[in-house]
Amino acid sequence: MSNPTHTSESGRRGHLASRFLRGGHDPDPRFTLANERTFLAWIRTSLAILAGGVAVEAFMADFFGSELRKSISVLLLAMAFLIGGGSLFRWLNVERAMRSKGPLPLPWIAPFLALGAALVALVMVAVVLARPN
Amino acid sequence: MSLVVAAATFLRWLPHHGWFVGSLVAAATLTAITINFTRKRRLHRSIQGINQEAITPVIASTTALAGSVVILSLLGIYTILFLPLNP
Repeated sequence: MSNPTHTSESGRRGHLASRFLRGGHDPDPRFTLANERTFLAWIRTSLAILAGGVAVEAFMADFFGSELRKSISVLLLAMAFLIGGGSLFRWLNVERAMRSKGPLPLPWIAPFLALGAALVALVMVAVVLARPN
Repeated sequence: MSLVVAAATFLRWLPHHGWFVGSLVAAATLTAITINFTRKRRLHRSIQGINQEAITPVIASTTALAGSVVILSLLGIYTILFLPLNP
């Protein structure tokens, strides 16, 4: 696609965009917007996990002991932290890859999220099974 | 909306941790309000970008949003581990 606006890309981009996106050509705007939507979906996931972590600490006092409750909450909040931060780097790497027409990077936060969720679910199952009636 | 939900769950800590958690609630709510008030501008920018077949990603607002989530998570961990519970 020969687009005459490519000649003035660096001029149109802001200082931050020029610095972080490192050249290349603007991709189809729909791809850029799709990348932004994916970033927002990861941020929503991160916020949901954050709210879950706070909820475990705040509402589960009758169900878990203090130390276990703290551990699960910290694990969930650490997941929220890593997914929130990782989503920014993923967004930036995908944007750079699209501009340089390179392969898209693997989303390492997806397996991380799956492992974290499985770990929390396992802990919950163990706690429920070990709990006296 | 997710930020408002997160702020609402932080409210549960308010009686136990006081002003510190109050500042978390305020920060999450302010971020949510800012996002809501800039929604129209972002929609307009996206429409213009599709029309002109060129759009520049906004690094600053993306970084600010991810940064606010990261900071809220870290402060949540700090609250759990280091702030004493007031009954």
